[in-house]
Formats: sequence, C-alpha cells, structure tokens
Amino acid sequence: MATIVHLLPIDLSAIGHEHLTLAVIGYSIVFLSLFLLFLVFSLLPKFLTRNLRRKFQKEGGEEKASLAGTIVPGEVSAAIATAISLYLEELHDEETSILTIKKVGKSYSPWNSKIYNVINFNRFQR
Amino acid sequence: MEGIVRFFENSGFANVTPGHLLMILVGLLFIFLAIRYEYKPLLLVPIGFGILIGNIPFVEHAGLHLGIYEEGSVMNYLYMGVLKGIFPPLIFLGIGAMTDFSPLISNPKLMLLGGAAQLGIFLTYIGAISLGFTNPEAASIGIIGGADGPTAIFLSSKLAPHLIGSIAIAAYSYMVLLPVIQTPIMRLLTTKKERRIKMKPPRSVSKLEKILFPVVALLLTGFIAPGSLPLLGMLFLGNLLKESMVTKRLADTARNTMIDMVTIILGLTIGASTQATTFLTQQSMHIFVLGATAFMFSTAGGVLFAKIMNLFLSTENRINPLIGAAGVSAVPDSALVVQMEGLKADPDNHLIMHAMAPNVAGVIGSAVAAGIMMSFLL
Repeated sequence: MATIVHLLPIDLSAIGHEHLTLAVIGYSIVFLSLFLLFLVFSLLPKFLTRNLRRKFQKEGGEEKASLAGTIVPGEVSAAIATAISLYLEELHDEETSILTIKKVGKSYSPWNSKIYNVINFNRFQR
Repeated sequence: MEGIVRFFENSGFANVTPGHLLMILVGLLFIFLAIRYEYKPLLLVPIGFGILIGNIPFVEHAGLHLGIYEEGSVMNYLYMGVLKGIFPPLIFLGIGAMTDFSPLISNPKLMLLGGAAQLGIFLTYIGAISLGFTNPEAASIGIIGGADGPTAIFLSSKLAPHLIGSIAIAAYSYMVLLPVIQTPIMRLLTTKKERRIKMKPPRSVSKLEKILFPVVALLLTGFIAPGSLPLLGMLFLGNLLKESMVTKRLADTARNTMIDMVTIILGLTIGASTQATTFLTQQSMHIFVLGATAFMFSTAGGVLFAKIMNLFLSTENRINPLIGAAGVSAVPDSALVVQMEGLKADPDNHLIMHAMAPNVAGVIGSAVAAGIMMSFLL
C-alpha cells in the first residue's frame, strides 16, 4: 500500500474549497433525492388505502377499517398465486375430450376439388 | 518491389509496438474470462473483441480511415453514439424495462442505502483532484464508484471524452471483479452475528404502486437534478412500459432486441477505443487505481450506513448490513455477491430479494450523482 501511495503523485494542496463543496453538496443531494423518494413511498400505501379504510369503516366500524392497511407478506401472495395457478391448471384436466375434436371446414377451391382430381379414389365416389 | 515494400510498411507487423501486443493480450484475457468463466460475457466478449480490433497496428492518419479516432472511418461513426452520449440512455431504457422495483417499493427505507453507497463517487473525485486531474476529469473518474457502466460512459462523454476508454474499461473490469473487491470489505466491516441477521420478508406490492413509482421517481429526481434526465428519463420510461402492461411489445423490444443491439455496438466501440497509442498512458494507470478505490469506498459506504440505520431500527425491522454493499449499482452482480456472502454466514438466509432494493436504488443514485456533476461542471 505504501508503495502505491509512493508511486502516485498525490498533491493534497490541489484540493480546494470548491472541490470539497462539490463533493459534500453532491453527496447530500443524492441522499436528499433518495430520502424524498423514501418519504413518498413510505406514505403512499397509507394514502392508497385511505378510501378503502373509509368504506370498511362505514360497513363494519373500526375493527374492519383496520384491515384496510393490512400488509400482505410477499410469501403469502406467492402461496395464494400458486394455489390459484394450480387450481386453474386442474380445471383443464376436467375438460371433456370432445373439446379437443374440432370440425374442420374446408373452403371450396378447384385445386382441391375431388371432381377435378387426377386420381379419383373409390372412397370419394360414394 | 516498391509495392511489396509499401504493403509491408502498411501491414500490422511493421507498425506493431509492445503497447499493441499488451492490449491484444488484455483483449484475449477478456474473451477468455467471458467464455471460460462466464464473467459478464454479454459485455466482455464485445469489449474484448473491440480491444483486438482497436489494437491491430496500422499506419495512422495515412488516409486509410481505419482507426476509431480517424474521422470518416466506420468505427468512428459507430463511436459517435458513445461520444455524443446516445447509447447509455438507450441501455437505461432496456434496463428500466427489465427492472422490478417491487423490493424497493415494499421496503422504501432501503433506498437510503443506494444513496449512501455513492460515497465512493465523491471521495474518488477528491482523490482524482489530488492526483492532478482537472475538475471535469476528476468527476468522470469518480463516477466509476457508481459501478454503473452506462452512467460512467455518459458522464465522461460529456465532461472528459478523451478518458472514455480508460473509464469504461476500468468500470467494467471492476464489475467483473466485484466478488474480489467487495467480499473482504463486507467481512471486515461486519461481525458474523450481523451477517446472520434475517430480514422480514418483503410485502406484496400493488400494480398501482408499481405504475406510480416510475412517474413519481422521475418527477422527484428530475426536478432535483435535471442533468440526470437523459438517463433516469429513459430508465423510468422503460419501467413504465413494463409495469403498465399495455405496452408489452415496446417493453419486450426495449429489454431484448434494442438493448442487445446497443450493447454490441457500445461494447465493441469502447473496446476499440483502447488503441494502445492513445490508451496506454500514466493517466490510464491512475484511473485504474482510482476506480478500484471508488468501488471500495462505495461498498464501505453502503455497509456502514446499514449499520448506522440498525441503531435506530427495532429488532424485527433490522437490516442485514451486507445488503448495503449492493447499493453500488452493478445490477444484479453486487446483489449476487451479497447473497453468496449471506449464505456463507447462514445457509438458510437468502438475501437476494432484499439486496435488490439498494441495488436498483444505487442505479438511481449514481444517475442523480452524474446529473449533479454535470450541473456543477458543464
């Protein structure tokens, strides 16, 4: 480490007040902008659930209103989503096989007409 | 005979210098690391190959229009996207369309770690001044501490275009070396007990919150540091394209085709800009030393701030200080380093989701820092 410091031509006198000011103010502004974002997004969930809380309060009083701000952990959401997904996939297995057979309607064209076909197989002439 | 002599004089063999050979070795090393160990292959392969292209020796300024620094050459035209700061915002658009900000929205206090981890930018700026760099050069070097390649390229294209090559190579090289740089600092600044802290699982985030985030964040950061708008504007636009769910095609293009195209050209031209005749200078060596210290300071800033935050938080809300290290951008590499380090302390403690929050906050923080530097120095 001492060798590196020795190799680098460090001149501390080159650091002026304006450089220190930029560093301190710059760092503070970065911090401030992220702090403001922190404030906004800390308050946002409360703001977003305000209407729901009012609605719940009308319906069931304070006890029900307190449910409006309930934080659902991500793990719970993931479990619910998995359960729904599995349930919907299960539904597919209960479908009848008839659904898989589709009637195919062919539009007429002389190019595939059995009348003009070169080889008229018997099975077409019923 | 004269023609043969002229052909030989124009060939690489006649113009080769030890610098060219050294840089070719560096290019080969990058390609080797990318293919053999899969270290950031999407970046290191184009950059490594670009280094090879840029360091095939030839007679410079002989009207052949070959070099990246020669006006009229194809490489020079492609390099314009770097010099004019066009590519970094496009990369940010793609990053925005890939990024999920939910870990950050679910635990907003972790945003502060993304701010704290920008310490390296400003300390390195002071360090660069003490090494005799000019103000704009020092700011461009300092931004390496943000561990964000596009931001470093963007700022240096505006403030010190002649240093872009060195700054970009330093930034990307240290991103590859993140585990080597960050791990010792993380261990040095934390106790084993702190590394074992288990954090509360993040809450689920509503769609409305996800849509509001890019809009509100843009308005807030844009008003504070308008210089960061080209980067943050594109980042948040990309994120809105993703989260709104009504512009799926645009989001898909931004995060796949577009970002891939820009990455190829950006990597290639940055690599080619390391032409030995202009790149191998004492200044470049200083930039490499300063870049490493920037990464170290930023890591330390994040970890120490997490420890300070713990002093004010209740036991159940405590933060594992390791995630502070993810506050340097380098998405998602630094979060992965945190995850690995957390697992070493406690094999049941998965920190990746928590670490992603300061990680994406770091992207915002470093872009804001770049905007502030631009506002002060342009």
